[in-house]
Amino acid sequence: MGRDERKEQILRGIPAAPGIAIGKVHLIVYDEPDVTPRKLAPSEVPQELSRYNIALDQTRAAIERSRDRALDVAGVAVGKIFDAHLLILADEIFHDQVRGRIIREQFNAEYIVYDSFGQMIEVISRTQGEVFRERAADLRDVRTRLLRYLRGEGDVIPDHPTHEVILVAEDLSPTQALNLDRSLVHGIITDIGGLTSHTAILARSLDIPTIVGTGDVSSRVRDGDSIILNGNSGKVILHPTKESFAEYDAKRQRFRSFQQVLEDLKSQPAVTLDGREIELWGNIELPREAESVLSHGGTGVGLFRSEFLFLTRETTPSEDEQFSIYDKAAEIMDPHPVVIRTFDLGGDKYHAGINIRDEKNPFLGYRAIRVSLSRRDLFRAQLRAILRASARGNVRVMFPFVSGFEELRESLAVLEEAKQELQQRKLAHDRNIPVGIMIEIPSAAVMADRLAEQCAFFSIGTNDLIQYTVATDRANEQVAAYYRSYHPAVLRLIEMTVRAGERHGVHVGICGELGGSPAATPLLVGLGMRELSLTSSMIPEIKKIIRSLTYEECKRMARKAMKMDTSQEILNYMHGELKKRFADLPIWFN
Amino acid sequence: MIQKEVALLNRLGLHIRPAAQLTKIAAKYKADVYLLKDGMRVNGKSIMGVMMLAAARGSTLTIECVGDDEQSLLDELVILFENKFYEE
Repeated sequence: MGRDERKEQILRGIPAAPGIAIGKVHLIVYDEPDVTPRKLAPSEVPQELSRYNIALDQTRAAIERSRDRALDVAGVAVGKIFDAHLLILADEIFHDQVRGRIIREQFNAEYIVYDSFGQMIEVISRTQGEVFRERAADLRDVRTRLLRYLRGEGDVIPDHPTHEVILVAEDLSPTQALNLDRSLVHGIITDIGGLTSHTAILARSLDIPTIVGTGDVSSRVRDGDSIILNGNSGKVILHPTKESFAEYDAKRQRFRSFQQVLEDLKSQPAVTLDGREIELWGNIELPREAESVLSHGGTGVGLFRSEFLFLTRETTPSEDEQFSIYDKAAEIMDPHPVVIRTFDLGGDKYHAGINIRDEKNPFLGYRAIRVSLSRRDLFRAQLRAILRASARGNVRVMFPFVSGFEELRESLAVLEEAKQELQQRKLAHDRNIPVGIMIEIPSAAVMADRLAEQCAFFSIGTNDLIQYTVATDRANEQVAAYYRSYHPAVLRLIEMTVRAGERHGVHVGICGELGGSPAATPLLVGLGMRELSLTSSMIPEIKKIIRSLTYEECKRMARKAMKMDTSQEILNYMHGELKKRFADLPIWFN
Repeated sequence: MIQKEVALLNRLGLHIRPAAQLTKIAAKYKADVYLLKDGMRVNGKSIMGVMMLAAARGSTLTIECVGDDEQSLLDELVILFENKFYEE
């Protein structure tokens, strides 16, 4: 090794979890498990088979525990990974093949397991595409756990460091990522992966600064190398100079003290300097995520995405099952409100239990309230469950994808039917449950002044409102540039909705991604928004912004922005204003 | 024995979840089912087997059913493929 290789090097990846980490590399190399074939005596075969069966049971139980923990820590997306592992392990035909090979070939179970999985891993990892690469990683993960149980090692993670480090790996397996110890792992850098990979999601939940998708960092470092990572910008500095150390140490200090400032704000209300109070609520998919809303200082759930009940399973959920889930969320939040949005299926969220035919334009098709209104059985059952929960907590109901009066009237009629059914069954419910609609179709925003006569609240779903206003599929990379979040037309529709709400005493909030964007905060407050519902983790930062501004200056900013011609001008203007006032926001830590 | 050619049109190809849906249907029937692609022939009642095909979006597979209730099994599987496995 020449001295040149110790020179400072800068690499870039995708910033996946914010924060700055400085430390020593702990390299995790994927080792093919060391499995030696051992010939069995014929008399040993029955015992080998029973060893295999026991290990299978133990592995299944361990994966179930991981699945539950994943749901707890990181939500549905990561929970699903372990569900997939359980599916792999439920393949009886595969197990019969393994048992058959033990009997015929008379080798130890470890070897047969290793080899049988190995054939599949080899085929799948040769296939093109990210999904299959991830599946190969899943198979390796399941195999490793099964081999550990066969060897009687249990579910330990031998690669885990014993001192404070920065983990560097080609990739972490779902099991490794789930078992990260935040007190030892100060940062994570991986070669592959994107923002939605399990490593990224878990790192964000565990609050460990992380960069993914660096390409080849794991082949450039050795254990113990000095390294700096900036999870805000995606920058990795290998073998940093003294100057870089000093620079990033200072940055880390500032970042930490800003985090401390946010921490201190937790129990403070989100109120502007001149006394205008803004509700900051959280968006959730699982009832237990309500705890995270509270721990981040949120004072309500502005969007409970009830369709998750469908997405993680193949049967449709019963009324009782739904009731206990809605009730749990309401109980956690009590006395704060929980807004339950009825199923938003269709578009890009399909379910096996609901036959959605192949559509040319699914986002303009059979989706959300349109599905509910044509499946009255499901819709009424959901409304009954929501109504029952409303008897016990502060529960509100919200209809998605309303384009005008027709759907709203029909939905209200179904809600009445549901109330009558409950009355007949003598089940308690809030007869005056507040009813609101999502404003996410431009026609609804245009009609907001009239729709307000029939609703208690509006919640603006900015992701869809933008997509439908500028006619741009946000998942289509080819036209991504046309998806303009600050398009003046979008802002006008938001303003129309707020004014309509004000005139009719209808509460207006926002529950799209714009609600959690620092650059949009002064604009939304200035336009008159009273409630922002966002990802829990962003609540403290948005609160800090609100508490540092006056309503008057927000109004001035909004007025100025509304006179501009393009999304980019508005965004540049907001960034400029924000940078002047908040030099320490995480988004500036490049 | 009956066979039918089907196109795989779901976005992510025949990965774990679609494979699980397919094997779940297959398990309800007495008939055996095999999937054929590029000279490979796998047991359609095994998730691992189905994944072994590593079938990506746009590929063509042949479903082969053998047994008493082969026709209804084949029909149900064809519907699953035509509906892109009801998923993203």
